[in-house]
Amino acid sequence: MTSTASSRPEETARPPAPPTPATLLRLFVGVALSGIGGGLPAHARRAVTARGWMTDAQFAETYTLAQLTPGPNAVNLAAMIGARLCGPAGAATSVVGILIPGLIAMLAASAVTLGAGSGLPPAVQSGLRGAACAALAVMLSAAIPVVRVGLGVKGGLILAALTFLGLGVLRLNLLPVFAALVGLGLYLNRPQRVPPPEEDHV
Amino acid sequence: MSESTLWALVLEFVRLGLISFGGTNIAELERVLVGEHHWITPGTLANGFALGQLMPGPNMLAVTYYGYATAGWPGALASTLGFYGPTALLSALAALAWRRFSTHPWLVAFRDALLPFGAGVLLAGVLVLGQSSIHSWVGAGIAAVAFVILWRTKVNSVIVVIGAAVLGALLGL
Repeated sequence: MTSTASSRPEETARPPAPPTPATLLRLFVGVALSGIGGGLPAHARRAVTARGWMTDAQFAETYTLAQLTPGPNAVNLAAMIGARLCGPAGAATSVVGILIPGLIAMLAASAVTLGAGSGLPPAVQSGLRGAACAALAVMLSAAIPVVRVGLGVKGGLILAALTFLGLGVLRLNLLPVFAALVGLGLYLNRPQRVPPPEEDHV
Repeated sequence: MSESTLWALVLEFVRLGLISFGGTNIAELERVLVGEHHWITPGTLANGFALGQLMPGPNMLAVTYYGYATAGWPGALASTLGFYGPTALLSALAALAWRRFSTHPWLVAFRDALLPFGAGVLLAGVLVLGQSSIHSWVGAGIAAVAFVILWRTKVNSVIVVIGAAVLGALLGL
């Protein structure tokens, strides 16, 4: 990820101007616009670390947390960065900023494609079908790193496979599957007793 | 569209937002919106997801599309606010609380338990979306080629999706 570490500038030279809700709004509109087609977390990271508002470690911690809270990751990340840098007002403007460009574009696309009803030109319909096939590939490629991390956890392979089976194949309701499998994962990864002071297990 | 349907829409999207972990929960979206309520068709589900890939910002703006398809402009507003509002609020609160409790052993265990679940949710979504968006060998081929390009190269995914749209239009998919 950080293959261009050699170009790291000295950031101690000038103290960063503290973010305000308005600057966060502008920042996240820019992140949304540069993140067409994904990679939003990478753009957000670049934006906040380049301004000296967060270190890489702080960003990584916030990013992990954003993965854990329910809901869309990129929006969660914006809410958390905003809250951390500028309190509740910062969280609100960050969320609005990351949503606004896409919301406008999506409303326009909805009005055009859905407003036309079934009278959409055949070429547009088959174009959308082609795009849907590629969108599936986008989703699969985005899932790979998440799956890799998930399989690294104790019992990860079985838990991920059972989740896939329950939700994808059997089409079970999510909440019971969640309760059973996250419960099992909690049991497998339960906190160990504090080891005795003599370090016999290296 | 009646007011009660609009409320049902808001509540359903609040629920869908709160139960999607680590990404997109397409499987549950399909089960509820297509199967249970018949608000949208499988084709609308796939189209909305594809359009979401072309939009600036988070690709789950597909929820706005599904809300619009169900109930027009009020529906789009209801689905968007319902889906993003509560989860964003929860995230902001979690960010403020995290610094105090992040080292608690049970919180670490919870994180480890959630990671494989999130992976399974994503893979289930791929399966369900594949069933509603791929209807032919040509479509499967486009998906496979797109996947190899995305996996092996640094090509922006928007270009891949637009390329597939052009190809689909030319082939009359």
